[in-house]
Amino acid sequence: MSETLEDFSLGKRPKTKGMIHKVGVVGCGAVGQEITRTVSEYGIDVIFLDLTEERVQDAIVQISAQLDETINHWGLTPGEKRAILSRIKGTTEYSDLADCDLVVESISSRKKGTSLEIRKEIFRNIEAVVRQDAIISSNIVTLMISDLSSVLKHPERAIGIHFILPINKSNVVEIVKGINSSDEAFEQAAKFAGMINKKIIRLNESPGNIVTRMLVTTINEACEILMEGVASVSDIDMAMRESGYLFGPFEMADRIGLDKVLKYMDNLYQEFGDKQYKPSPIIKRLVRANYLGRITSRGFYNYKSGRPVDQTVTCAVIK
Amino acid sequence: MKIIVLNCGSSSIKYQLFEMPSKNVLAKGLVDKIGLKGASIKHKRSDGVEAKIEGEILDHQSGIEYLLGILISEKYGSIRTLEEIDAVGHRVVHAGEKYSGSVYITEEVIGALEECIDLAPLHNPPNLKGIYAMKELLPEVPQVGVFDTAFHQTMPPKAYLYGIPYSLYEKYRVRRYGFHGTSHKYVSQRACEILGLDIEKQKIITCHLGNGASMAAICNGKSVDTSMGMTPIEGLIMGTRTGDLDVGALLFIAGKEETSIQFTSTLVNKFSGMLGISGVSSDMRDIEIAAEAGNERAKVSMEMYQYRVRKYIGAYAAAMGGVDLIVFTGGIGENDTITRTRSLDGLEFIGVNINEEVALKSRGKEMLISTPESKVKVIVVPTDEELMIATDTYEIYEKLALESVD
Repeated sequence: MSETLEDFSLGKRPKTKGMIHKVGVVGCGAVGQEITRTVSEYGIDVIFLDLTEERVQDAIVQISAQLDETINHWGLTPGEKRAILSRIKGTTEYSDLADCDLVVESISSRKKGTSLEIRKEIFRNIEAVVRQDAIISSNIVTLMISDLSSVLKHPERAIGIHFILPINKSNVVEIVKGINSSDEAFEQAAKFAGMINKKIIRLNESPGNIVTRMLVTTINEACEILMEGVASVSDIDMAMRESGYLFGPFEMADRIGLDKVLKYMDNLYQEFGDKQYKPSPIIKRLVRANYLGRITSRGFYNYKSGRPVDQTVTCAVIK
Repeated sequence: MKIIVLNCGSSSIKYQLFEMPSKNVLAKGLVDKIGLKGASIKHKRSDGVEAKIEGEILDHQSGIEYLLGILISEKYGSIRTLEEIDAVGHRVVHAGEKYSGSVYITEEVIGALEECIDLAPLHNPPNLKGIYAMKELLPEVPQVGVFDTAFHQTMPPKAYLYGIPYSLYEKYRVRRYGFHGTSHKYVSQRACEILGLDIEKQKIITCHLGNGASMAAICNGKSVDTSMGMTPIEGLIMGTRTGDLDVGALLFIAGKEETSIQFTSTLVNKFSGMLGISGVSSDMRDIEIAAEAGNERAKVSMEMYQYRVRKYIGAYAAAMGGVDLIVFTGGIGENDTITRTRSLDGLEFIGVNINEEVALKSRGKEMLISTPESKVKVIVVPTDEELMIATDTYEIYEKLALESVD
């Protein structure tokens, strides 16, 4: 009944496809939380889904704590925090994702074994509730978007978006086109990236994309140097940091989580059969001992209040 | 003739339709939340007819398209067709060193403004979006750019250079530019008009005190110094901006708090100023209430604010070798009688004498607040940047018309 702005259109130009108003995030572990927070920071509504009400509540608490941390470092005002949280909702029901323009699957890759089947199931669940023109996406690392989208009725709407950690600091996302991904899906994903202020790296699907593939080989090589007794963990990290990397390879591995690093390596080794991707025995031993990195407060380093205090693996020295 | 004035922000557009040269405002409004949820246009016609219309506004161009649609609509419109619009005036924040006055917008001008994006990354891009949109929607209509920085381009190098290696000025044009130029220009001219003074013979200090605040020293009609610098952070203490700050202190803070450049920017832009000191609010009205209730930090923040204004008055009087006229404008300058009056405390020695009775009563209107004997006249002039933009646009349009006749 009431008039809208459409009534005053001059009809001067073709209608462009709608914007991204609402984003769904399935899986709200550490990475899902970072995606949720970043998307909301740029004024987009986000609804995240996790398995239990408890996990949903926990994620909200975590996100709130991360925002407080930013406030403490003068990066955000309390008013801005309220606005960000007001745009975030949690749910355990897929039906709540119905009006999302784009849904990102970002379940934790911590569990043993391949997560391919679980992720396919999630894709199916998403497609069952969203609009026909909604984009279905995965924060894809070593899996292939074509494999995931094979279960969709409309596989052309699926596209990979790899967020690079830490998401609020990195300026880019990798947008991964699968065999079936349509140009429209790519355009929408690119528009979304623009809305959250990320440059895009466009690539054709390949396990590990660019970033993860380069990263795991660097981590493996760092483990070699360590095992050969050439230098210590902190010295190798310092050398790389000082030569221009944001983080040293061990710091980076601890940040990602050694279990995840191991899984990336396994997947890449399986795909390429090249031994440069074969997980270093040190990483396997650390994971077995539950030294997973920052998440367990010990990995290549021991952590106290989130800061590395000493190294856990010593360098072999010839006396 | 009819001129539309646009002030495009990152997610909003303020607009006014003027009849010139009568300066009548036919309609004005605000396009709000562009690209966000809950977008709307609030429109008001001169006869009081108002509307708030909601809908999806994808970008600046659709916002402008809708506002033009409203302007020619039967229900809310002020004109019958778009052909009635003779010119468009745009507020543009940063024109770098390129333009010292308003200009007719050509491809070359657009190129120059695009080059200035570096200097005003938050403001110039939306200003440019407004220009692109109008080019598309009204391709035959001349557009004029009115720049916040232009009026201050008359500053001499001794006032605009920073004490940093000259090569940085050459490489990146790091220098003081100043802002609020349109306002400083308007109120200085208007003040002289009211008082019947020849602006060419006056030493004027203008104080634009709003949430953002700056002062200018205007000698014989030309800006010779201003308190904002390369960015709007420098100078007076503002609602949430620091104003003048020892860069050494900032480096120290950044080191201690381990803040990134981005976070440091939030610190000096959003956490500082009156809000940061008082801990009460960035709004002077709230701070005054708190100060009256005995809040010591609110009190000291007000004293700091007034002291900084007073210091700049002294500095600019020294810079010009005297002062004949002080003008107050902006939300605080026009309405906050206490801040305005206390800022002038102790300036009798340079010839400022305030009629406190008038000064403490007059709000929001043109009013002389100095005594008849006061050597320095002090006047309040509400700013009207939109009118100034319309006036400049009108003048340039007339000149263009003359040239095309020749």
